[in-house]
Amino acid sequence: MNSQPVSARRRTLLLAASAALAAPLAVHAQAAEDIVIGGSIPMTGVFAFAGIGINAGIADYVKIVNDAGGIKGRKLRYVPEDTGYKVDASVAAFKKITSQNKVNLYYGDSTGFAKTINPELDRSGQILMAGASFATELNDPAKYPNQFLVGPDYTEMFGILLKHIAKEKPGAKVAFVYSDSEFGRDPIEASEAMAKKLGLTVPVKLMTPPGSVDVSTEVIKLRRANPDYTIFHGYILAPIPEFVQQGKQMGMTSKWMGTFWTMDSSTVMKMGEAGDGFMGVMPYRYYYDSSAKSPMLEKIRQLRPEYQSTAYTQGFLTAMLFTEAAKRTLDAGKPLDGKNLKAALNTIKDFDTGGLIGVPITIKGNSIPVGRVYTADMKAQKMVPSSDWIKLD
Amino acid sequence: MRIGTLKQSYIADAALFDSRTQKTWLALGAALLLLFPFMASDYWLYLACLVAINVASATGLNILTGYTGLVSLGQAAFMGLGAYTVAIMQTRLGTPFLLNLAAGGVVAMLGGLVVGIPSLRVKGLYLAIATIAASFITHFLFANLKLTGGTSGLSLPPAQLFGVALDTSFRLYWVILPVTLLMVLGAANLFRTRIGRAFIAIRDRDISAEVLGIPLLRYKLLSFGLSSFYAGVAGGLWAYFFRVVTPESFPLLMSIFFLAAIIVGGMGTILGGILGAVFMTMVPELLKLVFDLLPGGTEATVFLSPVRTVVFGLLIVGFLVFEPHGLAEVWRRIRRFFHLWPFKT
Amino acid sequence: MMDWAYLFEIALNGVASGGLYALAALAFVLVYKATRVVNIAIGEMLMIGAYLFFAFAASFSLPIWLAVLGAVLGTGLLGAVVERTMIRPLLGEPPISVFMVTVGLASILVGLVEIVWTADQRRLPEFLPKTPVMIGDAFLAPKVAYGALVALVLIVLVLLVFRFWRGGVALRATASDQAAAYSMGINVPRVFSLAWVASAMIAAVAGIIVGSIGGISSSMGVFGLSVLVVVIVGGLDSVLGALVGGVFIGLVEALAGSYLGGEYKLLATFVVLVVVLMIRPYGLFGTHEIERL
Repeated sequence: MNSQPVSARRRTLLLAASAALAAPLAVHAQAAEDIVIGGSIPMTGVFAFAGIGINAGIADYVKIVNDAGGIKGRKLRYVPEDTGYKVDASVAAFKKITSQNKVNLYYGDSTGFAKTINPELDRSGQILMAGASFATELNDPAKYPNQFLVGPDYTEMFGILLKHIAKEKPGAKVAFVYSDSEFGRDPIEASEAMAKKLGLTVPVKLMTPPGSVDVSTEVIKLRRANPDYTIFHGYILAPIPEFVQQGKQMGMTSKWMGTFWTMDSSTVMKMGEAGDGFMGVMPYRYYYDSSAKSPMLEKIRQLRPEYQSTAYTQGFLTAMLFTEAAKRTLDAGKPLDGKNLKAALNTIKDFDTGGLIGVPITIKGNSIPVGRVYTADMKAQKMVPSSDWIKLD
Repeated sequence: MRIGTLKQSYIADAALFDSRTQKTWLALGAALLLLFPFMASDYWLYLACLVAINVASATGLNILTGYTGLVSLGQAAFMGLGAYTVAIMQTRLGTPFLLNLAAGGVVAMLGGLVVGIPSLRVKGLYLAIATIAASFITHFLFANLKLTGGTSGLSLPPAQLFGVALDTSFRLYWVILPVTLLMVLGAANLFRTRIGRAFIAIRDRDISAEVLGIPLLRYKLLSFGLSSFYAGVAGGLWAYFFRVVTPESFPLLMSIFFLAAIIVGGMGTILGGILGAVFMTMVPELLKLVFDLLPGGTEATVFLSPVRTVVFGLLIVGFLVFEPHGLAEVWRRIRRFFHLWPFKT
Repeated sequence: MMDWAYLFEIALNGVASGGLYALAALAFVLVYKATRVVNIAIGEMLMIGAYLFFAFAASFSLPIWLAVLGAVLGTGLLGAVVERTMIRPLLGEPPISVFMVTVGLASILVGLVEIVWTADQRRLPEFLPKTPVMIGDAFLAPKVAYGALVALVLIVLVLLVFRFWRGGVALRATASDQAAAYSMGINVPRVFSLAWVASAMIAAVAGIIVGSIGGISSSMGVFGLSVLVVVIVGGLDSVLGALVGGVFIGLVEALAGSYLGGEYKLLATFVVLVVVLMIRPYGLFGTHEIERL
């Protein structure tokens, strides 16, 4: 029988176990002055390339603000958590961050999360939220009073593309190819109506199941419709290159277009030679854009010498708008809560983003309906602007 | 050491909790569960509610797969049926909370009966694959019917119980926990009855069970129905907890999660269902804690999600290779050690 | 009035993409035939093959043929390791346990791929010919056509091997009666390893082709679910069934996708599955399992 005293190892194990058990009871000490930006960021999973960019963008802007003295002497603090782009992980991260910090600004990683957490936001009333989603449904100030989009919503993106098409080739045939997901289906119906209003026809709308490998039957259908333009939505990369390649092989003359999450420079460049001439809408200037004076872009290029994705710009811009809303709220002497922050955001009129968006922006409702059409130049490995900045109202 | 637990009546012999020590531990556990919400932060309450929902669903799956031997990969689909029923009834009819839960369970049960029909023709892995098909067909229905809100799903207002809105994890805890406890107790009792024993007979050798006079189709359907009722109620609780249901909320991966939970916990034991669900829900949290302690900072957290996936797979494989009877067996060995101490097991 | 040309074109593409399904189903059937294991991780083994090819061809810039060889051999090695460490210890356990082990394996493989290569979608280097294949007026996408050709060649090869080579005969013997195979002097454990290695190598080839069509990502494994339907329809242990089932499912998917809409593709596949399970549960060419007490 063992009659030795409790060994040192066992003692430390017991101590560690009791410390772990006591963890939920510990309260996180925090400087009450800080303005906290919480984030459910998809740093791993299918959206990881975007998540890492967004994370860096927010962190960089927070650093810039803090180095300049913060907002009225109060520092910004950025508290991110990885979610793997899964809604329940997002919600868990939100609950964890809000229980450990006093959060007034939050970045959400997906449409699903934005919708799930909305009742919670309305109930607590303390937080203004933005995120990686550009879903049309969120662009409703009545239903989502504490949220906003950092750019045009997906229907507005389609609108920008359709306006461009109507100008370039009136009465053209525009095919929609979209993924069978919430992301993909979001703008289709409204965009079809808008196309009709602009005098364009939509000969075919193709939906591809998520994770589909072989799209040859869809390409056949597309070829039969013989569109002048084809807009892809609801994808990041696959299966667009396959569509474009097979379409070109079968002699299609359609021009190919995409929406925000496809249009990052590195993503389009991955398309190879099939991607030459690929067009799409992008509300921001690309990292290497030097077509006009952009002081903020210059600063980003100084901070980060290597290419930063448009996801980075999105995060950066979100932090910028958060800061602006907080500043205006504090300037008006109001406390930082959801309603006041949103009201302050809506006072943003003809605001200069330092060149990240090409024109001064006004946030009337929940979105920023501005964008430009870019075309891919494979030889230069760059995205080149092929339209003016289009504003929708 | 436990000695002298002798029984003098059949009723006492068949009791779920027989010794005084067991009852004291149970009372302590109950006290802990009652005090927990007052001590814990919002985040831990959230976890507790999630664990309870998972326990309920895992117990249901255990009835079907652990006790009756019918492998099912459709548990998430039945949860989805329950969740959507609750969501539709709450948003369109505004019926009371408990009625919605019961209705969710019933609708899921009907779904389970339908899915169970092939069990007459096919067995084993073929049945498992049929349940995968059911999972996809329900996903299709959720995503394409107007009633279910299509791909954007449905969002529901908080449940109302006696005029109190159940909108915080704290309040939901007081509803979710009793429901789960009731369901687990019900399952434990089920296996003291004739029906439960019939299930076990079917698992061991269904042809012999039929020879002994157990009508196979009826009992297999009953098993499917019961387990999907559990899933439906768990799904209803899930809907009230998250307050948004979308077709993506109940993927095949969730069914695999529950199957893994009962394998890790121990198939065919009620305790196994509980332990497995708790373990599998808490492992990602533990991993997060470990990663927070690592010196890498945000660079290391990039690996959290894939490591979580790998650990999930390793747990399944590890338990199957090294401890096929799961955590319940580990627990039984610990108990036996303490029962026989100071003698060796 | 039916548009026959359109139907022909759709059907042709469907049959050709069915060839890919047949190839992946072949890998599945090999394992089931020899070891009675349902390998749900077949889609993930496909993915490993594609990623290894990507690593050799893109990251190490090896010539294409060498990259293919490397990917195939690497995946074969994986198959051997899996068989030794995860399948062999579970010999004699109920089939559900082994099935769940392959489910766990699938998770492990996905996680490993995400750790090394992240979850981003990527494209494989182009190496298949680019000109579309024309049959009459109908276009056939070249990648799909050549993929189907490779599938056909491999299936015929495997059928011949099973008939004429000693190893193939040993595999068939082990499949029908393990005890008898042992007593005939067949090294049954070696046959198991062989089956898994061969299956993994074929999965790698399928993965490379599937990857070059649709790109590679850590969620490529869902291809395995469609393959599951194919083997149920064809029969879990029939090589010919893999071919016929693959072509059939490819056709069904193409027709459903074109005439009903993209969202009906998976639904149609699974409805076919349920129907087949009810009418002929062992598939078109599968062997009926007789349970003895």
